[in-house]
Amino acid sequence: MVRYVRLLQLFFRTELQYELEYRLNLVLEIIQTVVVTGTSVAAILVLFSYTTILNGWDLSAMLVLLGCFYLVQGFGELVLQPSFEKFMEHVRLGTLDFALLKPASAQFLVTVRNFQVVQLAQMGLGAIVVAVGLSRIPSIGLAEAIGFPIALLCGFGLIYALLLALSTFAFWFVRVDNLMALYWSFMDAGRFPVDVYPGWLRVTLSSAVPIGVAVTVPAQVIAGRLDPLGLGLLMLGTIAAFVLASWFWRLGLRSYTGASA
Amino acid sequence: MTDAVVDVRELRKTFRVTEREEGLAATLRSFVKRHRKDVNAVAGITFRIGPGEVVGFLGPNGAGKTTTLKMLSGLLHPSAGEASVLGYVPWRRENAYLGRMTLLMGNRTQLVWDIPAADSFRVLQEIYRIPEGQFRSTVNELTELLELQELVHKPVRNLSLGERMKVEFAAGLIHSPSVAFLDEPTIGLDISMQVRIRRFVAEYNRRTGATVLLTSHYMDDVVALCKRVIVIHRGRLLYDGPLADLAERMAPYKIITATLHDGAASSTDLDAYGTVVSREEGRVTLRVDRQVAPERTGRLVNDLGSRLADISVEDPPIEEVIDRVFTSEQTTVSA
Repeated sequence: MVRYVRLLQLFFRTELQYELEYRLNLVLEIIQTVVVTGTSVAAILVLFSYTTILNGWDLSAMLVLLGCFYLVQGFGELVLQPSFEKFMEHVRLGTLDFALLKPASAQFLVTVRNFQVVQLAQMGLGAIVVAVGLSRIPSIGLAEAIGFPIALLCGFGLIYALLLALSTFAFWFVRVDNLMALYWSFMDAGRFPVDVYPGWLRVTLSSAVPIGVAVTVPAQVIAGRLDPLGLGLLMLGTIAAFVLASWFWRLGLRSYTGASA
Repeated sequence: MTDAVVDVRELRKTFRVTEREEGLAATLRSFVKRHRKDVNAVAGITFRIGPGEVVGFLGPNGAGKTTTLKMLSGLLHPSAGEASVLGYVPWRRENAYLGRMTLLMGNRTQLVWDIPAADSFRVLQEIYRIPEGQFRSTVNELTELLELQELVHKPVRNLSLGERMKVEFAAGLIHSPSVAFLDEPTIGLDISMQVRIRRFVAEYNRRTGATVLLTSHYMDDVVALCKRVIVIHRGRLLYDGPLADLAERMAPYKIITATLHDGAASSTDLDAYGTVVSREEGRVTLRVDRQVAPERTGRLVNDLGSRLADISVEDPPIEEVIDRVFTSEQTTVSA
């Protein structure tokens, strides 16, 4: 376990070194992130200048939700998107072999290998937006304070499991970039609470593309709209999704190494 | 022989491939319904390799060399047969096994392009749990043997193909494996770099006693490194024995080269002595049956007398022997 944490540090450090070499690119990316986040915060403010409540969500809760969205999306773009893109390239080029030949978990070595360090800025801004939203809420109970980070971690876990399962198709079809692109476009829907969407979309965003759950649930916890049972279910669901996706990945790997033949 | 490092028995690998004819219509048809065909990439091969041996694994493209290496390194499951390397079943991919072997592929790189190799080495150190002291001494030794000094601090993308291969070797050997599978390690490299890689492999084998199984298209690699060769063709073992005996067993003829003083080679009729392969500027090359080679040579020396400037009798070049093996249907010859 300690070894994996140290490996993660090494992966992160090497990628950081690489990105620091392209300073201009780094600065531009940060500016872009600030602009995008700023615009969507402004949009929320405009919306709430006409109304004080949106389907039960007030401005503070909406800010927390938007912050959660940037945290989860930032996490996806920080490590998952670059790693899974690289993974598909490895399958295409056959260089996945090298990961399989190492005395360590191949899933770990591949799926959290690459970082887009600049996306930390997005996560940082997300955290700021969450903090601003929280500061507007008069009192936060202990249960909410504990439940919120747990729900957020579950959100990260759900997104990871989903991407892992999707990318596994690369073992059979090699090119699944479009599937991944489709996913990222759905991702954008997460910036609003799932319950504002019509039924069918709400179901999709909560199950097939769990971005709705990953973003909305942590915000619900803060808004005091989720009971312990809901949180428990979320944790169980996340673990189940992770186990299932990992099993599916190993199944794909078996077909890659021809174990079935 | 129970102390074999690599022990392969009746190993087979059958691939299921999709076949389709050319043309759009056929492509569309195959999109709906695929015609599948079984291909025997490896059709039952058996061999053993002892500790510290350097064995050349020869065969034309598609002979099954890479498939065999992939099975021995645990990347592919065989369709049938058994193999054990260092006492492990490779395709179980136990960490204990993976930590003691390496597979180097000349046409693929495990190094990350954008960062210096030194950083990749650190990641490998963590993956293989190499203690700091051992890591330093291994890196120093590899740096010295491969002359890596400046190379490891440049991003890999800035290295030449040859330089990259040297760094790749260092990365593949950083955990001091007991068994190394080298798949075309010198492919695409210029002659001087090939020579340096060869020298390195020989020296590495001498220093560490690692067992090496090497495939190469360049016979020079094999001649320089391997006393023993295993030849496979169409998934079957054709020859397993000393490189020195390969020509004798596989090519039943010798090459006699006669150089004439008067340069009149083109006008001299030498067909009576053997098959004339080439004539150029006073030099004639003859192919003669192995059994009669000494006698024919004697006759040539007698008959040509003082016109003869030089004469040599040799085994045919190893490339020619191999080519002969692959183009003819030979039965299995085992030494």
